[in-house]
Amino acid sequence: MNPFIEIITQPDNIAIVIMILMVSFFMVWAFQQAFQNDKLKSAGYAVDGELDKDVDTFKPLVRIELLISLAVMLFLTVWSIVVDAPLEEIANPTLTPNPAKAPWYFLGLQELLVYFDPWLAGVVLPSLIVVGLIAIPYIDINPKGNGYYTFSERKYSILIFSFGFFVLWLLLIVIGVFDRGPGWLWYWPWQEWDIQRVVYEPTRDLSNLVGIESRSLPGFIIGAVVVGAYMIGGMIWPYKYWQKKNPEMLQQLGMTRYVTIVFLFITMMSVPIKMILRLVFLVKYVWITPWFNV
Amino acid sequence: MNDLFNKVKKNLIWKSVFRRDYRDNVRDRALAIFGNVFLHLHPVKVRESAVKLRYTWGMGGITFLAFIILTITGVVLMFYYHPTVDQAYSDMKDLEFQVPYGVITRNLHRWGAHFMVIVVMIHMFRVFMTGSYKAPRQFNWGIGVILLVLTFLLSFTGYLLPWDQLGFWAITVGTNMGAATPLLGYQGPFSEYLHITPYNDVRFALLGGAIVGGNALLRSYIWHCIAIPLIATILMVVHFWRVRKDGGISRPQNN
Amino acid sequence: MANENNNKSPYRAYLFVFFSVSLLILSAWVIWNDEFGLRPWKHYQKEYKSLKHDQLVNDYKKAQLEFHRSGGAKRLADLKAQLSKAEEALKSKGVGEKYTQLSNKLDELQKQASDNQKKLQTVRGKYLETEYFFTKTQKPEYKKQMDELQLQIDAIDKQGKELQAKQEPVSQSMSQLAGNIPAIKAEIEQLNKILEDKKEKIANNETAPIEIKQFLIKDIDKADRCVSCHVGIDSPKQPSTKQPYTKHPLMSVYLGHHDPGKFGCTFCHRGQGRATTTVEKAHGKAKYWDEPLLKGDMTQTSCLNCHGDIKNLRGAESITKNTELIRKYGCYSCHKIPGYEGMGDVGPELTQVGTKVNYTWAVDWLLDPKKYFSTARMPKFYFTQDQAEAIADYLFSMSGSERKDVDIAAVKNDPKLVEQGKVLWSQARCNLCHATGGRGGDHSKVYAPDLSKVGSKVNKTWLFNWIKDPNKYFPGTKMPRFRFTDQEISALVDYIANEYQDDEAESKYATPQTIQAESIKKGKDLVQQYGCYGCHKMRGMEMVQVAPSLKAQGVTFLRSDEMREKIGTELSSIGSKPLELLDFGKLKKSIPNDRLSYIKQKLRDPRGFRLGLRMPNFRLSEKEVNELSAVLYGFTDSNAPVRFMVPSRQELDKMAGVQGYKFTGDFAKVIADVKCTNCHTIKGIGADYAPDLTLAGSKLQESWIRNFLANPDMIRPLLQQMPKLGLSQAKNPVKVTMPKFNLGKQKVEDTNRSDVDVVVNYFQQELVTTDIPKNIPVIADVAMPEQIAQGKKLYDDKGCIACHQIGTDGGAVGPNLSNVGNRLLPGFIFKHLENSRKFKSDIVEPNYGFTERERVLLTNFLMTLKLSAK
Repeated sequence: MNPFIEIITQPDNIAIVIMILMVSFFMVWAFQQAFQNDKLKSAGYAVDGELDKDVDTFKPLVRIELLISLAVMLFLTVWSIVVDAPLEEIANPTLTPNPAKAPWYFLGLQELLVYFDPWLAGVVLPSLIVVGLIAIPYIDINPKGNGYYTFSERKYSILIFSFGFFVLWLLLIVIGVFDRGPGWLWYWPWQEWDIQRVVYEPTRDLSNLVGIESRSLPGFIIGAVVVGAYMIGGMIWPYKYWQKKNPEMLQQLGMTRYVTIVFLFITMMSVPIKMILRLVFLVKYVWITPWFNV
Repeated sequence: MNDLFNKVKKNLIWKSVFRRDYRDNVRDRALAIFGNVFLHLHPVKVRESAVKLRYTWGMGGITFLAFIILTITGVVLMFYYHPTVDQAYSDMKDLEFQVPYGVITRNLHRWGAHFMVIVVMIHMFRVFMTGSYKAPRQFNWGIGVILLVLTFLLSFTGYLLPWDQLGFWAITVGTNMGAATPLLGYQGPFSEYLHITPYNDVRFALLGGAIVGGNALLRSYIWHCIAIPLIATILMVVHFWRVRKDGGISRPQNN
Repeated sequence: MANENNNKSPYRAYLFVFFSVSLLILSAWVIWNDEFGLRPWKHYQKEYKSLKHDQLVNDYKKAQLEFHRSGGAKRLADLKAQLSKAEEALKSKGVGEKYTQLSNKLDELQKQASDNQKKLQTVRGKYLETEYFFTKTQKPEYKKQMDELQLQIDAIDKQGKELQAKQEPVSQSMSQLAGNIPAIKAEIEQLNKILEDKKEKIANNETAPIEIKQFLIKDIDKADRCVSCHVGIDSPKQPSTKQPYTKHPLMSVYLGHHDPGKFGCTFCHRGQGRATTTVEKAHGKAKYWDEPLLKGDMTQTSCLNCHGDIKNLRGAESITKNTELIRKYGCYSCHKIPGYEGMGDVGPELTQVGTKVNYTWAVDWLLDPKKYFSTARMPKFYFTQDQAEAIADYLFSMSGSERKDVDIAAVKNDPKLVEQGKVLWSQARCNLCHATGGRGGDHSKVYAPDLSKVGSKVNKTWLFNWIKDPNKYFPGTKMPRFRFTDQEISALVDYIANEYQDDEAESKYATPQTIQAESIKKGKDLVQQYGCYGCHKMRGMEMVQVAPSLKAQGVTFLRSDEMREKIGTELSSIGSKPLELLDFGKLKKSIPNDRLSYIKQKLRDPRGFRLGLRMPNFRLSEKEVNELSAVLYGFTDSNAPVRFMVPSRQELDKMAGVQGYKFTGDFAKVIADVKCTNCHTIKGIGADYAPDLTLAGSKLQESWIRNFLANPDMIRPLLQQMPKLGLSQAKNPVKVTMPKFNLGKQKVEDTNRSDVDVVVNYFQQELVTTDIPKNIPVIADVAMPEQIAQGKKLYDDKGCIACHQIGTDGGAVGPNLSNVGNRLLPGFIFKHLENSRKFKSDIVEPNYGFTERERVLLTNFLMTLKLSAK
């Protein structure tokens, strides 16, 4: 069978295909409504739903709830009849499958293992994701766009969230499911997996680029400087920028909010930056310390 | 036909259950909601936008429905399952080959779980896109994030239960992350200063052992079947409650 | 108000109807599927039931017919007539009335007796209760009560006895009156029962439940539901030969010795015992289930799981035969296989090979051994010409420094010696082991090389030395040291060199050529890489360090004598190896992805999976591939519980601390030289090609042994190997004679005793058993000649002649007895007649149950059968 069809029809991967379809559909729908509302607003009309009146819960809401429930149950029943849940061989602690994959919704994090050490990819970043998500309502002080789809009124927050959600979370999951084969090597979905394949990819550390041993003191210092500069520079530069451009907003934000926002943002952006460093410049570590590596 | 209807409706049992007739007037429509323990979660009147599919996509409700389906199928599955290394896998095989409706129950549970994870993520996306986390709903968004994490954990703990290669190694890979926790995991940074070994670190606490074994299976089982559903239910109650108390489904402010 | 518009909401009822109806239909389908779609065994059980019904009905009809035919029906009618007559009689003569009276009385008495019994019990209960509660208090009123009770008890007892006494005459008179009615009734019942039983069986079959049947075995975690479809597997009368209704083949052996309730099915047959939904899943042909069903002879591979000894194991014939292949091709030389440790080398030592063979031959052989002779065991390594030359160079460099061939044209052979050598060749029965020109080589288990072209392979000097003392060149060879004189050896060598030439052989190096050092190094690398030292000993290869050039290629292990690390993959659990660990490489799409297919493909084309594999190609026939893969498939790390294990004799001995048998003294030297155990078994050691000699000392007469060893031809007809009776496919009897080893001409080293003395001595000292008496009991009352005559009469009466020959008369199943008086000891014959199976378990001779006297007579008669030596 065609490897592509084989991999997307694997029982567990069907869920991922369904996820891709559903997420794409709702993404398009959300943005379509957002742009429509923007248009209405700029033309001076009320946005969708703004002029709505109250209606009885019984029956309109109850009816639609019933219908959706029936539809969902029908969908799940069909899914369950058509596809049987797989049961692999009995657990064997001595036999590691290659590749050994985490549950699919954590594959984005597993994918990060290529670029970060486990303590970052597996512990610090996920914790920051949760903390960051919870923090969103408290750091987003833009009062607009509450209760309706819009894009133009919340450009930045939507862009940042979409980048995190679609690219850093969902895209990495899809990559982990469909494009990672034995040895966590890259395979296109239509490529045959080969257990014996070895890709020799010499990696180096950042300070090696300028010819300094990364495990030496100078290497340590260079790494510390680069990481420190990224963090501190990332903090200061937007501050200066906004001070010039939009000091009121900065005033509104306050120092605590500002630091939280920027810290979360630069941490999030460190992921694509590290990915580019790794994939384009073959840099494994930026900073090597005796305790941890970044 | 009408006679029959009337007979049934005048019946003592029918009356005891439904208490009163439904006549399509304002009062009865309201009574239908707050006279019903399941429906009175809703307000008597909602905004028209809440009824429109294009606004909410029904995602929160679908998530709740998935949770209910999973609870029901999960309870059925629990009847046929022993969380021990010796029996777990055989029980799965028996479920497939011997238990009446075993296959369909397991399929519903498995695919329902995948479905719930997908739907809960889309729900979060919708709530973000409509800005519904903004005041006064900040706290409820936080609850929602925790519920999202709990959904992941529910699925994750359930992964191990069949005791097959897929689940075993998925859990092994997943919990190995715990070993890398700074300070508290034996492979994590600074752990040597706290005298952390594979036998007293975070992962050991998660698995009840240094490797995935019988204890890990039991812990997964208890987290999956009792602890997390309990916590999630409590948080769901709060979540739903807050949806109403924060003014129902969010909507454009009337200026 | 918007409220009034509620009923005009856009959601229509048809959606609701559509979803509901779809859900309803799906639910119905799920229910139907769960009831029938996923339960195919219901259908099978129903069909089996109807087949069995037909069979039982058939049986019943047959029995009915038989009942009529054999007069059973007539007898039944007779009996019924008799019964009615007797009953008539009972009634008519007023006897009936009396009978009814009596029986009424009897009933009454019995009722009274049982009433009394009940009363007695209650009273006794009260009594005991009182005693239990009040003995200690000793209150007088209770004592009185107790006494009263005791009196009551006695009274009731007495009453009962009286009643019984009354009852006896009544019942006696009753039986008198009734006459033989009970007897007739009993017989009628018996006759009816024959048919009733059959009817009952039919009824039982009718009501048998349709359900999942399974063997549940907790400690090996098995729930084998195979019998849910294979319903008739353990019923001796199969109602159909159609699958899945057949019975188990050879049931008494397989099921009789392995109760399915304890072993289940999948322990031997593999497959997925729990599966019930489809045939594919149950037979293990499903994804994520690596153990497909084993069928037919292939199942015997599972015998290896538990049985240490499969030799002579009934039901394991095919796997026993197949295991021989492991020995033949020496798989254990490169692969670790449990039970095959320390087997010795498959190939000859090569340290001195330069002095043995021609260089051109060596290169050709390395390129393709089968080209030299088709039965060659050495595999093809796919060497290039360069590589083969490099290896040959390395081998030759160990004993010289030149590539050289013997110029065949220049070799001159003495015609007289050739003539003499020809006689020796046939006397020594060289052809017994070595094939030449497609003939001979019947003793296939010693794997002697084909000698058709040997004249062009080896040089005469080497051949001379080899025949003179094979052990010197190749310790551990199976070639015996014939006691030839030097002159005889020269004659043989000339004969061989003259007779067995390869006409197509070239000799490129008739003029020697110096070997290049580079080539030697290259050759050594190749020898290391391909592990030639696995099968051939080579001096200098025991402790070699791995060359750096090879380390880069992944070679990390070399044989050292202590470690004996094998070059190949360990095979100890190849039969249960997870599929993930088998690399199908580029054949992943072209062959089925299961373990057995992998093993077979590996045997067919060892390097076909991907580049860089090293295993050579043995070019096995498809039959050999199937046989060998069956054995390999049986090497599992099975989780068989200890209670299943049947250790081998050796293992048992080891556990009990018994040392394995070892030959001692001079006899050991003779064995090492002449290799008796190539053909004979002695004390469990050796092959089964010639008679077992374990008890030779108790069996054979000394003079016969001496004569035989001196001249094995003499009693030739006696040693004809007969086909074993009962094997219809047996080949024509092969005439085999023992080679003439010329024992006795030379002394055993370091002693003054001749070989024959040593052998005879050892036979008499070691190979004896106290079970066989030296002398037979004497019959005092009959004179000797008379005894012989009686013995002959017995011999004729019992029909011994049907199987045994004396002179030219008689059958050819048992051994010829014409000279038995010279050959066997009387004690052995005597004991043999008592129980022939004691000494040879697979013997066909019937057990006649002779009395001791008869045995003495027969023995005395047989001892007179002697051919006078000419």
